[in-house]
Amino acid sequence: MSEPGNQTESTSRRRAQDRIIAPVAGTLRKAGVLSVLSGLIWPLQAGVLAWAVAGWVLGDMGRTAPAAAVFVVGGLVRAALDHRAGYCLFDAADQTIARERATLIGREGRARAPVTSAEVAALLVQKLPLLQPWITRYYVAMVRVSLLPLVLLAITFWFSWAAGLVLLVAGPLIPVFMALVGMAAEDASRKQMVEIGAMNAMLMDRLSAMLDIRLLGATGRATRDFATRAEGLRLRTMAVLRVAFLSSTVLELFSAIGVAMVAVLVGFTLLGEITFGSWGGSLGLAEGLFLLLIAPEFFQPFRDLATAWHDRAAGLSVVAELDALDAADRVPFLGLAERCAPLDGPLSVDLSGAVVALPGTRLALPDLRLDVGEAVALTGPSGAGKSTALLAIAGLVPLAEGHINVCGTPLDHGTADAWRARVALIPQAPHFPDQTLRDWLGDDVADPRPALRLANADRFVARLPDGLHTRLGETGGGVSGGEARRLMIARAVLSGRELILADEPTADLDPDTAARVIDALLGLKRAGHSLIVATHDPALAGAMDRIIEIPS
Amino acid sequence: MKALLPIIRVLLSAAPQAMFRGALLSVIVLLMGAALLGLSGWFITATGVAGLAGVGIAFDVFRPSAGVRFLALGRTAARYGERLLTHDATLRALAALRVTLLRGQARLGARALSRLRAEAVLTRIVSDVDALDGVILRLFLPALAGLVTHAVVFAALGWLAGWPVALAVGLGYVPLAALIFLALGRTTVNPSDRAETLAQALRRGVIDMIRGRQALILDGALGPREAQLGELDSATRQAARSLDRAERLAGAGLSALVAGVTGLALLVGGWAVAGGAIGPASGAIGIFVALALAETLPPLARGVAEYGKMAGAAGRIALETDTAPDALPVPDMDRDASAVLQIHQPALTLSLAPGQAAAVTGPSGSGKTSLLMQIAGLAPDTGITILGTGPGTWPEDALRDTLTMVPQRSALLAGTIRDNLALAAAVDDGQMWRALDAVVLGDMIRARGGLDMDLGEGGAGLSGGQARRLALARAILRQPRLLLLDEPTEGLDRDTADRVLRGVRAALPQAAILATLHRSADHPVFDISKAMNV
Repeated sequence: MSEPGNQTESTSRRRAQDRIIAPVAGTLRKAGVLSVLSGLIWPLQAGVLAWAVAGWVLGDMGRTAPAAAVFVVGGLVRAALDHRAGYCLFDAADQTIARERATLIGREGRARAPVTSAEVAALLVQKLPLLQPWITRYYVAMVRVSLLPLVLLAITFWFSWAAGLVLLVAGPLIPVFMALVGMAAEDASRKQMVEIGAMNAMLMDRLSAMLDIRLLGATGRATRDFATRAEGLRLRTMAVLRVAFLSSTVLELFSAIGVAMVAVLVGFTLLGEITFGSWGGSLGLAEGLFLLLIAPEFFQPFRDLATAWHDRAAGLSVVAELDALDAADRVPFLGLAERCAPLDGPLSVDLSGAVVALPGTRLALPDLRLDVGEAVALTGPSGAGKSTALLAIAGLVPLAEGHINVCGTPLDHGTADAWRARVALIPQAPHFPDQTLRDWLGDDVADPRPALRLANADRFVARLPDGLHTRLGETGGGVSGGEARRLMIARAVLSGRELILADEPTADLDPDTAARVIDALLGLKRAGHSLIVATHDPALAGAMDRIIEIPS
Repeated sequence: MKALLPIIRVLLSAAPQAMFRGALLSVIVLLMGAALLGLSGWFITATGVAGLAGVGIAFDVFRPSAGVRFLALGRTAARYGERLLTHDATLRALAALRVTLLRGQARLGARALSRLRAEAVLTRIVSDVDALDGVILRLFLPALAGLVTHAVVFAALGWLAGWPVALAVGLGYVPLAALIFLALGRTTVNPSDRAETLAQALRRGVIDMIRGRQALILDGALGPREAQLGELDSATRQAARSLDRAERLAGAGLSALVAGVTGLALLVGGWAVAGGAIGPASGAIGIFVALALAETLPPLARGVAEYGKMAGAAGRIALETDTAPDALPVPDMDRDASAVLQIHQPALTLSLAPGQAAAVTGPSGSGKTSLLMQIAGLAPDTGITILGTGPGTWPEDALRDTLTMVPQRSALLAGTIRDNLALAAAVDDGQMWRALDAVVLGDMIRARGGLDMDLGEGGAGLSGGQARRLALARAILRQPRLLLLDEPTEGLDRDTADRVLRGVRAALPQAAILATLHRSADHPVFDISKAMNV
């Protein structure tokens, strides 16, 4: 992996800061103040505890009850402050996720970028929430670490410069060691994520091959093999974790040594065996207990920051993905995809001198004229632009040059929606939403059966496990490629749209099935629809009124 | 809790010793933490007392201060060991959970097995398994370690600081913390499960919108779909908000509990010191230990808040694994019957002897695939016997040894050609090459790196026709008595199809072969040709 230069890295971090942190900076500042206030209460609580226990030794038992009361009230106030700070932080993260999600939802369906739908979905659903720990922990941890240790250090110095010195030495050393170990650990934890991802990929791979595994009588072999591989993954992951856990261990080691040294130092001072270190040479029991109680809190902000450091790294990588997606080349469509009244006038399509601009390429489309009731085939070699021509006629890709007239008016942003209300598109690989067949065909249609009959689809629909109530979804409810296209034809009939655009409707079909699809398309023409098909299939092209050959 | 118990059993029995070592170290870490603060508090108070009394020189400082150092360093070391051991145990358990899942899935019927090809189903299963990863590390171990620690601390405090102090700390923490966790579990069980299911619905919805965008634009329905996804997003975030609210409330409750119990330890300690039951130094132990025990609470809060998500996932996963195992008695098989396969169904009557090959034709949708699935014992069958016995009454292993089937869409594994072939049987390279040559794949694979040629996920790197032929080679290596082929020539040109059919016939001369074809079945390999009556 090549590291980008320091300068680009720091600018990308600044951009990430501007994009994610700046809009919620006010809320974060408020949370930081609340959190620091809560941290400042602890010395007070520690003070009353020490004061009360010292009272036990001095025989002043009257201190116990008020000290307990103050301690409990202090604890309640801290709990309330932390609760409120947590609320602000959640809100800040929630606003951010909501904003970024709204952007993605409103953009990715409208203008396609060259990333898969699964990648967009993973970014939107699984990765965006990774911004939350960064927003909720890192900023506050930074604020706390820059204030609380200083305050506690000053208090410690006030009572004992030797104890203060112990903290001063142990504290700043932590970031140094963290930097050393943290570099290894960040890499290590990334590797661990990769390994766990590998185990899941392996699981998915085996699950999706399960039918074959069962048919091969290989269930035992395949699961044993999986177990062996998982064992290998475990050994590798453990090797990684042995290093990764070192970083937090180093942190804990320093804080443990620091606290133990303060305890021993204070003990010896109280016994009178050490006479240096405190102002005036001696330390009271109350002061000693107090120092012991605040020492662990001196280290806590450092430990919190170490955890938050990883959260920040995860958040920054999400922002990098968001930035990359923002910068991707996109293909927009004409119009707003709003439902509106169909365009007026007799149906016609007229392409002249049209050139489509796609990212990186320009594609000239053939001149073409279609009048109502006509059926036209577009033929030509792969890549010549047959499919793109259909998309351009549907207003799904923009033109760089030339024009398309539909029903006598130019196809543009203003007319596209109304034009599309008269057009149906049958893609080569239809996508079925997760609906029942009945709903997908149109829930306002009284009886879909005549249309299914016209499309040669009635018989296989009757044989589907749940008939018209079969759920389609990603796998198409178990319909084959040819069946899926006939369903699309039936839907086009039911939609009442006059112009049908069909992309390779007979590709990958055996001759029998292809003949059924062609028959269904001709049925559409007889029913008064106009037709443009893009095809390689001479049988289909021959069945149309006209053939327009696109040169490569 | 019921849904989680079987999962916990699977996870614990996967590596009981590793789990035990991890649990033991978790307890040791917590106990050393409590001991460290308790001892430090005692030490300072006792030195203060001794210093005031002027007997500082007589005070044994070395053993307590050595104890403090030992506990501080030992606790750090134990923490490191605990992290390693519990992660090790968890990784073993995760592998075991996935293996159990695979075994369970293998027992499903044809429809459920085909469903596993859908990405949405796979993603759901995998994210459910992921959700269960935390059951041990975030829920079971912290709860167990916390309880044991509190029990041990209770006994130790009773001995060192007297029972009133021990009772104040023990009774202050355990029942109230249990109540808080119970309340947290109850308020989060719904939002936690909902957040997970809504997130999965949002994921599916986004994929659906992008893949179906052309249809949505043509229908003028993109805006409403976006609005729908926006609502799904706000419902998801709403569930996350309720979760966060409950977690924060529980967190505040737990901090208040720590303050309350420490205050109580101070009061009871003061009362015991005033009564002369214990010295001030022993009294201080209770306060410091009460503070140290705060450490037992937050890790568990996280796990409890995820309980709903875990329970929901466990319920769904249990459905997947909880199919009754085959326990059929071995039937009397007519192993030498003249007919390997007999079919008496309204759509088809057929009898197939060893060495015979039959082609069944019919348009798509006429039930050819479903017939093959019935013969293969993956769908409820009627009117079918294999060696005189219905597929449904055959024991699974014996049936798989007798027949094999190459489905229309075969799945290959990510791995080498060798890995994929070895799935069929433990065979040597020579047999592998003979099978590959029989399906006219040998030359291509020799040219591209031999048996160690690497295939990507789902067999990427091979064309559709090559992948089909590799699946055929795999089936040949099974040496079945009955071979079922679903559209074996699909995606092959006429010449290759001819050579493949002859190759398969020659490789398995004794096998009965049944192939479904939607094209004409005039190939000379087939002795019998029948059409499905539709």
